Amino acid sequence: MFEEQIEDAEAAELEAEIDQEDAWAVVSAFFGNKGLVRQQLDSFNEFINTTVQEIVDESSEIVVRPQSQHNPLDEGEEPEDKRVVVRFGQIYLSRPTMTEADGETVVLFPKEARLRNLTYAAPLYVDVSKTTYMPSPDGMEEPESEEVEDYSKIFIGEVPIMLRSDYCSLYEKTEKQLSILGECPYDQGGYFVVNGSEKVLIAQERMANNHVYVFKKAQATYSHIAECRSVLENSTRNTSTMTVKMLSRTGAKGATGQCIRCTLPYIRSDIPILIVFRALGFVTDKDVLEHIVYSLDDKEMMEALRPSIEEAFPIQTQEVALDWIGKRGSTVGVTKEKRIQYAREILQREMLPHVTVAEHAFEPKKAYFFGYMVHRLLLVALGRRGEDDRDHYANKRLDLGGPLLANLFRMLFRKLARDARGYVQRCVDKGRDVNLPAGINKDTITKGLRYSLATGNWGMMGTAGLRAGVSQVLNRLTYVSTLSHLRRINSPIGREGKLAKPRQLHNSQWGMICPAETPEGQACGLVKNLALMSYISVGCPSSPVLTFLEEWTTETLEEISASVIPKATKIFVNGIWVGVHRDPQMLVRTLRQMRRQVDISTEVGVVHDLQLQELRLYTDYGRCSRPLFIVKDKQLEIKKKHIIALQLEEDFSWNELIKAGMVEYVDTEEEETTMIAMSVRDLQMAAEDENSSIQTYTHCEIHPSMILGVCASIIPFPDHNQSPRNTYQSAMGKQAMGMYLTNYQVRMDTQAYILYYPQKPLVSTRAMEHLHFRELPAGHNAIVAIACYSGYNQEDSVMMNQSSIDRGFFRSIFFRSYRAEEKKQGSLVSELIEKPERGSTSGMRHGTYDKLDDDGIVSPGTRVSGEDVIIGKTVPLPEEVPGQPQRFTKRDVSTSLRNSEAGMVDQVLVTTNAEGQTFVKMRVRSIRVPQVGDKFASRHGQKGTIGITYTQEDMPWTADGIVPDLIINPHAIPSRMTIGHLVEALMSKVAAQLGKEGDATPFIDLSYQKISDMLHQCGYQQRGWETMYNGHTGRQLKAQIFLNPTYYQRLKHMVDDKIHSRGRGPVQILTRQPVEGRAREGGLRFGEMERDCIISHGCASFLKERLFEVSDAYRVHVCEKCGTIAVANLKKNQFHCTACKSSTSIVQVYMPYACKLLFQELMAMAINPCMQV
Amino acid sequence: MGERAPPKRIPQVNVRKISPDFCEFVLSDTDPSVANALRRVMLSEVPTLAIDLVEIEVNTTVLNDEFIAHRLGLIPLVSQRVGEFTGAYDTNDDEENALMDIVFTMDVKCTGDDTLDVTSNDLQLDHNFQDIHPVAYHPSGMPMDPEAERGVLLVKLRKGQHLKLKAIARKGIGKDHAKWQPVATVTFQYMPDIRINQALMDTLSEEQKLEWVRSSPNPVFRVNPVTAQVEVLDAEAYRYDGEVIAKAKAFGKEGLVSITPRQDMFIFRVEGTGAMPTQQIVLSAIEVLLRKLDTLQQSLASEAAPMAVDNL
Repeated sequence: MFEEQIEDAEAAELEAEIDQEDAWAVVSAFFGNKGLVRQQLDSFNEFINTTVQEIVDESSEIVVRPQSQHNPLDEGEEPEDKRVVVRFGQIYLSRPTMTEADGETVVLFPKEARLRNLTYAAPLYVDVSKTTYMPSPDGMEEPESEEVEDYSKIFIGEVPIMLRSDYCSLYEKTEKQLSILGECPYDQGGYFVVNGSEKVLIAQERMANNHVYVFKKAQATYSHIAECRSVLENSTRNTSTMTVKMLSRTGAKGATGQCIRCTLPYIRSDIPILIVFRALGFVTDKDVLEHIVYSLDDKEMMEALRPSIEEAFPIQTQEVALDWIGKRGSTVGVTKEKRIQYAREILQREMLPHVTVAEHAFEPKKAYFFGYMVHRLLLVALGRRGEDDRDHYANKRLDLGGPLLANLFRMLFRKLARDARGYVQRCVDKGRDVNLPAGINKDTITKGLRYSLATGNWGMMGTAGLRAGVSQVLNRLTYVSTLSHLRRINSPIGREGKLAKPRQLHNSQWGMICPAETPEGQACGLVKNLALMSYISVGCPSSPVLTFLEEWTTETLEEISASVIPKATKIFVNGIWVGVHRDPQMLVRTLRQMRRQVDISTEVGVVHDLQLQELRLYTDYGRCSRPLFIVKDKQLEIKKKHIIALQLEEDFSWNELIKAGMVEYVDTEEEETTMIAMSVRDLQMAAEDENSSIQTYTHCEIHPSMILGVCASIIPFPDHNQSPRNTYQSAMGKQAMGMYLTNYQVRMDTQAYILYYPQKPLVSTRAMEHLHFRELPAGHNAIVAIACYSGYNQEDSVMMNQSSIDRGFFRSIFFRSYRAEEKKQGSLVSELIEKPERGSTSGMRHGTYDKLDDDGIVSPGTRVSGEDVIIGKTVPLPEEVPGQPQRFTKRDVSTSLRNSEAGMVDQVLVTTNAEGQTFVKMRVRSIRVPQVGDKFASRHGQKGTIGITYTQEDMPWTADGIVPDLIINPHAIPSRMTIGHLVEALMSKVAAQLGKEGDATPFIDLSYQKISDMLHQCGYQQRGWETMYNGHTGRQLKAQIFLNPTYYQRLKHMVDDKIHSRGRGPVQILTRQPVEGRAREGGLRFGEMERDCIISHGCASFLKERLFEVSDAYRVHVCEKCGTIAVANLKKNQFHCTACKSSTSIVQVYMPYACKLLFQELMAMAINPCMQV
Repeated sequence: MGERAPPKRIPQVNVRKISPDFCEFVLSDTDPSVANALRRVMLSEVPTLAIDLVEIEVNTTVLNDEFIAHRLGLIPLVSQRVGEFTGAYDTNDDEENALMDIVFTMDVKCTGDDTLDVTSNDLQLDHNFQDIHPVAYHPSGMPMDPEAERGVLLVKLRKGQHLKLKAIARKGIGKDHAKWQPVATVTFQYMPDIRINQALMDTLSEEQKLEWVRSSPNPVFRVNPVTAQVEVLDAEAYRYDGEVIAKAKAFGKEGLVSITPRQDMFIFRVEGTGAMPTQQIVLSAIEVLLRKLDTLQQSLASEAAPMAVDNL
């Protein structure tokens, strides 16, 4: 009996509701299943698994008939009716491989691709069949003969493979295997390796297609506009936009009233809507009105249509209407029949192609949709609805790597097919045998994809409409910067546009896009980052949904009469109006139920718009969605037992949660039809309180802190900070040094920063667990005092403890890699990596060549500095006079160290590149010890540079012997309101005392007082203050000091990389003015504002010195008579003016070299500038 | 005409606790300036030995040469004999015979499948200075008490990795680099002078008294269970946090207690690194301080003499 009781208790426990803490198990399950770059991987997998085949399938077969060339000698050749048809079939993708210069093909792993500057790509093959149809001999009744030739697995090009995708060599490898392959187990993949550099495809935001948007217009001519950017699914055709416009009162001056007109593709002028209806075959006014107003009782709306009906009164038949449209088309001066045919084709193919492009019976569908657009327009015009929100995130779609690659691949494959067709045509014309593999250009796809990925110019080389910056070099500064880069979104709206709206945070972005992480300045709000739990749909076929609708008594538009529409609910699937249904509630319920059971895809969006009486279903790709707990009868579907199963059972994970209908993805548009509880507690409160105002929760947030993105999740207590500070930290966290990957030793990044002793923060957020911030941290837990002390921390500078620095505080390593390869110059000559010799080599550098080994490369462990040559390389000079001995046989093209850097050679890699040429990479390391001028920041947008370093004895200390590592100025706090900084500090102290990690997750119940009380119990002043003693005098400081540990980051900006001065140095060749930039040892610009300043001080001589003497002073000789520049030979004291042939009265003039240049350029334009001297 | 010179005081030192790496003493009858001078000298000017120069022959470990050199430098070396050495920049009359370098060597290679910890115990001592070694030194290979302190970890080796180097230790002071500091920290606090206004205290209720006592983060006061009077339990535990004073103010009883730091009594705490016994640190610091004062006195005297002539 007793046991039974226990069992009962346990059963009750299992059925119990979950609490907020349990939600973290669900979050862990989500990240365990999805990782952090799932959107990239999912979208790429979709591309490889389905889209590529679809693109190949949709390319129609190539049919080639011989086009007999005119041959005057051979007149009587019979017109051959031979046909060659080429069809593309099944595609095959192999594992990533590379072909060495000697022809050997080996499996390629990412590490090798990165090190040897190769492209991580897999070969793509396709089955092709060629059918030749021969006409039967004359007069015979037999059908034509057919000859089929199959080519299986023809190589058509290489497709770069996304790391960790299904086709990557690293797919489903264990941590150990990854380590053996030289990969970091924490690396998430989601990027490509092209020519050795890691490339990310940035998600591109765009407006959703096939939506009807209605806007009010401020312009004089039109008062309202309804538009629809119509695109046929899976086609390269450009969007065909249809606009329906309502004239404004002022714009309708000449006309009868506020007419409604529309635009049609290829038609020059606006067309009254009635004409379009009549052209579609709906002639009577009643027919038309039924398609727009639906219910003829709506007098107001009918009245609004009156001017339009009156306007189209002269056109009363379909013929006339078509002719009216045809006349305004692009073709002029053709017969009426042709015009009508042309207009009909436009209506069939170009108008609203997404509805249908079928040749028959397209009219009713298009008329209904067109009528719907007018209806929506009128709703807004009559003030029954507000205009649509352009910035609502439901109206946006994200093109990720998959769709981007698909578009590119479609273009390239078309080109390949076109080229193949040309080849077949040529063969057939010339009567040669068609050897298909030779006609397929393997470089089209290989080079096309590689070009776009390597440069970021999206589109085919040389074509218009290139989008720049789609593919970017993956940021590897620190681990979070990499993650954040892989989750970035770009909106390709003009940066210079002053419109603020698209940049602002929109309500509908909640949970999808991080509210804090965006750059400052030009791209502010246009470059965004995904929130942690957002999921981007990859797209699923709409046919299962359509079948379902058919089965569940949806009436198609052909079946119903228009009068039914007001009583029923319109059903749209991906923007296409498929029919109406009379019991939408039931339909929605069943659809959701099926989605929760995964009978239809979990991605499908079900939006029941009660106001508009519409049910909109979406299956397209690029929609933002996020998982939410499902609530039924004010209780969560997920129970304690599921949480326990998640934690204990191996095979119970995220997917099971989805399948069991406890969690579902809700997209931005569907979210508008839900009621979401913010926390489990809110839900419980609503359930317990009968009188609660909220009774209708449908979902519950998994955790509100999941609205943040990668960078903002690093911030402790972001909910205690002023919001711009979180934005600043989100930008700075990407510049922090830490450990960007564990395999940094086997990588050759051009630049890399590694912290000597990275520490995990004392205070962290729950999200950090999934960001691996504890495993790959970027900072130190510094003991920070907020005090003025000596004043060397004013204006965002900090004082640092030199003794701490000596002990390794914020010490870091900087790596820079150099590379050199033996490039081929023509077919015979090649560069050579060797130690150049003074005797035979021209153009040798200033730096020393002594550090080079005999192989022309500096050996590891050598200290190098300044302009030392580190990789010696020469290129043979062509023989000037054949047979004659030359002074120099080679020219020096060595690589030398950057002029302002120094370090030790860390590692040298000598290998061959894809062409088989010798290829060298060299990594130089230097140790960076914090010094005055280096930059540091806390995790709250509080950055500062070191103003002074004090040794331990000079620092203030406490009676416990604690000495701060860092002293920041108290003035950094009040105006910036970074309370989170202070709370973090306080909690860090408690955490350090208790030896536990502090939880700084936002939006949890934790009060400042609670932390204070804990601190008090630890024997400290409750607010974190300590009495300190002056290190110089030993006196007690009057004020108590806020002295606590705080997590600080070292940022990559260091004085040693910036320090610059110049006395004399290189000048530009053209103008002889000093060159620009530190890297070239350039001058410091004395600009206009500086000039203005000196003018206002009246320092004329100083100004002349700055602008002339220290810049491009030059002396010329000028003839006094004609004022032109004369020839002077100062050595022989001979002067001569070539213009007036005199050699007397020639004077010296000083002028800027740029001025002399101007005169000469003017002379080249046949203008003779004369100087009156 | 001036004030009368204060009575000459003789500073007192009262040692409370002393062990090789911790020492607590009370310095009294002197000024904060003297106490602070002693503290500063202990931190930065007591010479010790530390590895200063590292010549690396083979390093195939995961850490680079500079990293290992930095870690070696921070190992405390037992430096009782530091007095016999000359620092790299010190002047010495007998340049020829000056003792400067202590040479350690290390040669570790990992041959097993397990990771091998390279610690300070792997340093081979200089034959000439067998008594100069890292703290808690147990030469590797010798049987080691499992309870004993492990050496300072330098780097971990994987199979096949090899580290071979020569490390040269020199004399130096903490001002130049923290590795030469003989102490982890030195701190002193002013002895607090706590006076409870018992008359005012009696106006508090029992609970208020308890609340007031508890408001101090450290156990400074207590309520005597017998007399129910508030008394000082441990004055030295007071950290001048002002919590009790704030509490009294909150009760509306300002002046409930007066706490003032005494300007002539300092409790010193010295935590050594193991490089030197704390006793030697303190004595050495006093010696350095005296030498500084000597130098000052001498230069003052030589400055003063010509000035005296000027005044004539």
